[in-house]
Amino acid sequence: MSTTSSARAPRRPASRPQPRPQARPQARTPRRPRLAVVPERIARRSRVPFLGLVGLVLVLGVGGLLLFNTWMQQSAFTATRLQDRADDLENRQQSLSMALEKKNDPQELAVRARGLGLVPAVNPAFVRLGDGKVLGEPKAAAAGDAMRINPRPAAKPADLNPRPRVVRVPAPTPALTPAQVKAKAQADAAAKKRQASTVQGRVQQNIQQNGNAG
Amino acid sequence: MVVVAMGLSLFGVRAFQLQGLDPKAYAAQAEAAGAVTAVLPARRGEIVDRKGGALAESVDGDMLVADPAQTKDHAAQIARILADDIDVDYFDTLTRLEKPKSRFQYLQRRVPSTVATAVVKKLNKAGLAGVYTKPDPLRTYPAKDVAANLVGVQAQGRDDKGKITGGAGLESAFDHLLSGKDGKETYEVGDGNRIPLGDNSTVKPVDGKDLKLTIDRDLQWYVQRVLRNAVESSRSDSGSAVVMDTKTGQVLSLADYPTFDPNDTSTADKSDLGSRALQDVYEPGSVSKVLTLSSLLDEGRLTPETKLVVPPQLDIGDRTIHDWFDHPAIHLTTTGVIARSSNIGTALASRQLSDEDMWQHLRSFGLGTRTEVGMPGETRGLLPDWHGWQPINHATIAFGQGVSVNTLQMASAVNTIANGGTYVSPSLIEGSATTDSGETVGTDHTTSHRVISAKAASQMAQMMEMVPNPETGTAPGAQVNGYRVSGKTGTAQRVGADGKGYDGTFTVSFAGFAPADKPRFTVYVVVQNPRNGGGGGSIGGPAFSKIQTYLLQRYGVAPTGTKSAALPIDW
Repeated sequence: MSTTSSARAPRRPASRPQPRPQARPQARTPRRPRLAVVPERIARRSRVPFLGLVGLVLVLGVGGLLLFNTWMQQSAFTATRLQDRADDLENRQQSLSMALEKKNDPQELAVRARGLGLVPAVNPAFVRLGDGKVLGEPKAAAAGDAMRINPRPAAKPADLNPRPRVVRVPAPTPALTPAQVKAKAQADAAAKKRQASTVQGRVQQNIQQNGNAG
Repeated sequence: MVVVAMGLSLFGVRAFQLQGLDPKAYAAQAEAAGAVTAVLPARRGEIVDRKGGALAESVDGDMLVADPAQTKDHAAQIARILADDIDVDYFDTLTRLEKPKSRFQYLQRRVPSTVATAVVKKLNKAGLAGVYTKPDPLRTYPAKDVAANLVGVQAQGRDDKGKITGGAGLESAFDHLLSGKDGKETYEVGDGNRIPLGDNSTVKPVDGKDLKLTIDRDLQWYVQRVLRNAVESSRSDSGSAVVMDTKTGQVLSLADYPTFDPNDTSTADKSDLGSRALQDVYEPGSVSKVLTLSSLLDEGRLTPETKLVVPPQLDIGDRTIHDWFDHPAIHLTTTGVIARSSNIGTALASRQLSDEDMWQHLRSFGLGTRTEVGMPGETRGLLPDWHGWQPINHATIAFGQGVSVNTLQMASAVNTIANGGTYVSPSLIEGSATTDSGETVGTDHTTSHRVISAKAASQMAQMMEMVPNPETGTAPGAQVNGYRVSGKTGTAQRVGADGKGYDGTFTVSFAGFAPADKPRFTVYVVVQNPRNGGGGGSIGGPAFSKIQTYLLQRYGVAPTGTKSAALPIDW
């Protein structure tokens, strides 16, 4: 810019009738560079460290992000596993507390107490700690104080609970020779025995059934 | 330039299509690709007894379901393992596992989670696929039949109008309070794991509230067993028993028999599911005499020694009143009328009260009004309006016929005498709770009012001591060793199922309290239609005695050590 303006400058005074006296010396010294302060030139450094740094940040950043993501994912796996385990343990705890409740059931306790031979106390008595006086009438409990704690079995319908069947055995007919009588008696005895055993079996069965029904 | 513009407008059209035309469908599609919505079930509140012992509790459960397409080929093996490990029927399960053209079959519902997961694990280990678990909350009743008639069963669901179906007892009456509100959670998953920074939203569940009863579980068990033995040995239809804390009105036990196991209602009789003690009405009979005569004592018309001549029979209009025992004209005191349980004596004495006065007194004792303890379906009983009374009505109502009550009503009425003449409203719920129908009930809302004077109450308590006395009374079996006991028997005719009159069967009962001079507990036992010819004294009395004996020991109530009242019963 400065060079072009200085190159044009001599032409302007020539076109004018009275050139300015000051312009002359300028015209006499053409192409002389105008001096001006220019900004200090920055020393050109190598770009490699910078690119290296950027590259490093990039790699570290991406790598870090990747690691972070992986770590998060890993945590999610762990969380899922721990959650499953917590659920499992909670279920177990619930099952155990259910089992405990079952043991705590008054009926279960009563059955176990009765197994140990305990009966409800029917003669309540207290010792007054103040003066050691016994209130009430203390008496030892007896086995007879036991209470039925299970329902009676349901009565069976008549069809399942038949009456005992009675079988009448005819008496041996007389008027036989002693030998015949003996032989017959033996035969009868054997037959009776067989019958008796079956009758007894039936009666016993009936007793059992009745017992259950009662 | 044109190309860029065309490209952009294409994008624009696509964006409009996505966002403008049907955004929900696309959002749903995207969600379905990876999002999971899980219901966070609210924990159903527990029902516990006064000491915190569980009567109903909820645990995580699972249902076992099968995909028959997968199970068909190994059905027998799978069914055997299931039949062994969980309580299912082998053949039934086999049929389900082999169901043709089906991809979904229920095998068993409400299995405890540990059991369900264990059995599925076992099946998978054996290389048998096709059986899965799905969450299915499980309600258990660890004490089984204990307080079952009160606790009831959880409703199966709600119908279109929001009304619960299939429930019973407190579980049904307090369903809203117990059930809470389910929450919801939506999150994205990849391969079974939650995606860390994926979309998620959570609505937390609101757990149901616990319901604490005034019932004492162990006592309730004992009362139920005593009641069952009384019903069974007298070959009766049913029975109810109530134990009340005299001062507070808290119901420590309310037992019914027959009852059921709420863990398995499939075999239960529908009529056993509710509480007979509150839902059924009956005529109380002679126990009512203590109410009539204490009203007379309160009005100053009688004293325990007032002399009465009791004729062999009493004609009123075209009806004749008899006593339960044949007698010539006898000379009884008021105490004797109670001790010997004379209908004629009571009817004659009651003539000193006007219809209105008697009605007012009985009403004040709580007859004809619901106790409102929170149980569904409670009956108010029937105390006919005095305006319509004929002389015969006045006479029979005086000794407890022609008036109907429920068991808890009658127990509260007798408790008034134990409590020095002040009626205290019974309660079943500790604290305060609101039923689904909006009633607020519980011990916080206990009310009380004076019915008769303290003097009249104490006189009546002494008169009632003559009932368990073997020399004077009708119920020697009701004595409690070492204690003073007041009580009254009741043997009433029952109205037949057709409602047309008495059918020849009886309601027998015994109500009383101990210690007589410083009452702590009121116990009332009622047995319907005994077939062994027993009465209130021989069936109700011994049951009352057993319950009181247990109760007084359990709560550490020592005998008062004072001498029993000895009032003359005749002159």
